[in-house]
Amino acid sequence: MKRRDTLSLILGAALATWLAAPGAAWATAGRWFSPIRRNRLRPPGAVAEAQFLARCIRCGRCLEVCPYHAIVMLDIRHALHAGTPLIAVENIPCYLCMKCVAVCPTGSLRPIGQKETRMGLAVIDHYSCLAWRGDTLCRTCYDKCPFANVAIRLEQLRPVIDEGACVGCGLCVNACPITVAEDGGKAINIEPVYAGNAA
Amino acid sequence: MNQSRREFIKKAAALSAASCVGIQLPFVLSNAEAADQGASWHRGSCRLCGVGCRLELGVKNGQPIALRGVPEARTNFGYLCMKGMNFWKCMRHPDRLTKPLYRAKKTDKFQEISWEKAIDIAADKFAEAHKSGGGAAVAYYGSGQALTEETYLFQKIMRGGLQSNNVEGNPRLCMASAVGGYQTSFGADEPIGGYADIEKAHCFFIIGSNTAEAHPVLFRRIMRRKLDNPDTVKVINVDPRISQTSRIADKHLQFKPGTDLTLLNGMAHVICQEKLYDEEFISKYAAFHKGTEKVSLAEYRAQLAAYTPEEVARVCGGGFTPDDVRVVARWFAQSKGTVSLWTMGLNQRKQGVFANNLVHNLHILTGQLLKDGADSLSLTGQPNACGGVREAGGLCHILPGHRPIENDKMRGQVEAAWGLPAGRIPNGGGLHTMAMFQALNEGKIKALWINCTNPAQSLPNLSKYEAGFKREDNFIVCTDIFPTLTTQCANLVLPTAFHFEKTGVYGCTERRSQLTKKAIDAPGQAKPEVWIAREWAKKLAEKLADPLIAQCVKAFDGLEEGYALPKAIWDEYSQKITAGRDSDLRGATYAVLETMADGAQWPAPTEAHAKTGGTVKKFVKGRDPLADAATTNGDSPYQFYTPGHDDHKLWIWLRDQAQPEEIPDAEYPFYLSTGRIVDHWHTMTMTGRIPELLRANPYAYVEINPKDAGRMGIGPGDMIEVKSRRGRNLLPAKVIDGPLEGMVFVYWHDQHPDRLINKVTIDAVDAASKEPEFKICAAQIKRVSGPQALTPYLV
Ligand code: SF4
Repeated sequence: MKRRDTLSLILGAALATWLAAPGAAWATAGRWFSPIRRNRLRPPGAVAEAQFLARCIRCGRCLEVCPYHAIVMLDIRHALHAGTPLIAVENIPCYLCMKCVAVCPTGSLRPIGQKETRMGLAVIDHYSCLAWRGDTLCRTCYDKCPFANVAIRLEQLRPVIDEGACVGCGLCVNACPITVAEDGGKAINIEPVYAGNAA
Repeated sequence: MNQSRREFIKKAAALSAASCVGIQLPFVLSNAEAADQGASWHRGSCRLCGVGCRLELGVKNGQPIALRGVPEARTNFGYLCMKGMNFWKCMRHPDRLTKPLYRAKKTDKFQEISWEKAIDIAADKFAEAHKSGGGAAVAYYGSGQALTEETYLFQKIMRGGLQSNNVEGNPRLCMASAVGGYQTSFGADEPIGGYADIEKAHCFFIIGSNTAEAHPVLFRRIMRRKLDNPDTVKVINVDPRISQTSRIADKHLQFKPGTDLTLLNGMAHVICQEKLYDEEFISKYAAFHKGTEKVSLAEYRAQLAAYTPEEVARVCGGGFTPDDVRVVARWFAQSKGTVSLWTMGLNQRKQGVFANNLVHNLHILTGQLLKDGADSLSLTGQPNACGGVREAGGLCHILPGHRPIENDKMRGQVEAAWGLPAGRIPNGGGLHTMAMFQALNEGKIKALWINCTNPAQSLPNLSKYEAGFKREDNFIVCTDIFPTLTTQCANLVLPTAFHFEKTGVYGCTERRSQLTKKAIDAPGQAKPEVWIAREWAKKLAEKLADPLIAQCVKAFDGLEEGYALPKAIWDEYSQKITAGRDSDLRGATYAVLETMADGAQWPAPTEAHAKTGGTVKKFVKGRDPLADAATTNGDSPYQFYTPGHDDHKLWIWLRDQAQPEEIPDAEYPFYLSTGRIVDHWHTMTMTGRIPELLRANPYAYVEINPKDAGRMGIGPGDMIEVKSRRGRNLLPAKVIDGPLEGMVFVYWHDQHPDRLINKVTIDAVDAASKEPEFKICAAQIKRVSGPQALTPYLV
């Protein structure tokens, strides 16, 4: 377990105990962990998740400037994370207009370009992807990718992700016709693999 | 009805819940096998594009639950695209029209009425119009998506009953130039070969077609062929826009829109210059023509002399080198088999027929025809444009069975088959599509029947024709399954049965007729078109006191509409009308088609021949039974037995470069072209109601070359005004290395008034085919604002 996980666990447990009054059934322990998980991503340029909470001042400017309403603000149920920005890519993905990174006053979202964006990495579930199953000629993700032939290629008619080029915008997830999980998970999903790295 | 995304998703959820009764699995698509438990599977054709994929509809408790491909079918070998896989989801959509709707004035609200009343009103209004202006005052505008039985019956009632040749259909907007091309070059409509050539081809020449998106399953076959033989199979893509199709191309030549005539002549020039033509083939089977004269090979070569590769590269805009022209010409001529494929890029042009001729020229010159792996194969857009409209008399100038209307003998044959007195069918006088809607504008057409198509979205220069749709002094009937922009202009809307809710035949690109049998009941009171047409004709006969109108449907009276009625219509058409014609379908009876995984390619004069799949190569002895019986070309292996060319030869045409109607200028500096996206069918009345497909492409956008975007300060997603001399659109930008610099491209499926690109397109038509030039006009573009969140829009 990494240090930040330990920390947030302790912190979370403490807060949970503190707040877990009867009737506050929503305050499940999960609410105290980072909301970042599969298809739940920070906007482009976000600093590592461990620092995000401390840096972001919940000003909401990124969300105001997002023309697609892709960025939502986490509500009070997310306790410590309330007020921070999140993109649920299967609802509305990031169209990489890069407006949010330009307005963030704290550098929580660093001013980067489209190609350097690393919101996460697209991962294809070969068991449910129609093209991989050979059921039908689907190449929706490939068609939707803003870096088609670079981030997603078709090999023998099947989509393949280039880890070095995928920015994790989630356009593919949003468009994927196959829903395989209760939480809206698709046959292609964005895993926030970089949330722990960049400084 | 403008629905927000949320409403849409709610509706869609309700829909899938309703259509999955009895199934626990929410993920039907990826679990077709699981859905199989207890489902019955019904074989038919795909409802959507012209590929003609065969599939099976899974039905459980009377409800559709899934679609799957038929592995034995020679059209698709079991593969389906996303549209084909998913169209069952719109079958029980809550927006389905289920009751006849009527309003006296187009500004009134629709009232639900009974079928009896509806048929009476339709008959009354057509009778009234007919009394006032005869055959010229009534019109039928049909569809390449109607079943053959439907088109045939409607045109029979119009021509034989109402004595009107105002019989048209949307194939005028898509296939008419291909028909003109085949007739003038080969003397007979429709391709000589078919899909089977793909697996034997060594060179593909794809021009003016984004096969990857418009014919996905066929593209898979081409791609497979290329991937399996990367070194020995060449793919040439010729298009002003880099598309998904270009991705497998060994060479992609981008040219200035409209200059492809020069390029094709340039290829012919190289073929002549380097003596790559097939001398023996030409001397035996080809003739050279210029206008109305016959010319010699030498004269042809002299005329081509101006089209040097250097000149071609210059005229086409410098997107490729002179050597590229030489290389593609050599590949084309020297491969063991070359298949050309094209669609709207050549057809939807003011020079559409000429462009078609120039492709055929290359095949005739090089003898890349009539042998396996070689064909000049025009792809059809719609599932039944070939079968229903081209073959069964769905355009004003052709009677069923490939019969020209102006030929007395031909009209006589049809009149006799229908039991009508000689002279009953008028000699011509029918208006082609654009003239028909112009006549509507001018108040000359008083009653119009629009079946299974959406001209209020699909006509070019839309705003001009809105006037006609809105006139209160005409009467418009629409037969359809969903509300469309066109039903919004109707007085009477009649709900029809959808695919698999009725029985009938579709004929796809490769002359193959395939049967789809009724598998489920239509929702509410929706009825098959053949029933509607028959009842209407009976009432018309009463109102006009004309027993000859009743004669048109007498043989079909009382028959059950789900199967017996269409079968009787098909029997009449195939046995009486196609007998003795090149499109002979006498062997393709329902009984035979029902046993087949796919269907039969005509000529199929006998059941035994039809059962084998019919004729793979027309005109070839040993393969085409009509060629076996023919002696038009002596004892040679090829018999061009059709009467189109009196010398029974293939004609090479001298066609010089000619310009599109509109060329960009200082005021309107961009070329505008339009086209389709893989997930949406035409005006998205069906695919827009399938959540998976809508989600992938919720609205149209304009593709702009990065160089133009950079110059004009346009970023991805910015809202762009696209304006021509005729109208304007407001669309989000997609900056992509697709269209050539100086050209923009817009998808035409979107129904939103701001994104109806046909308000911007031009209605100039080809002089011969009368097909409009959707593909080229001049436009200006302007950045209006930054990105905006848009919602999908369906009427
Ligand atoms: S390629 Fe055409 S016919 Fe085949 S499944 Fe797709 S839409 Fe249907």
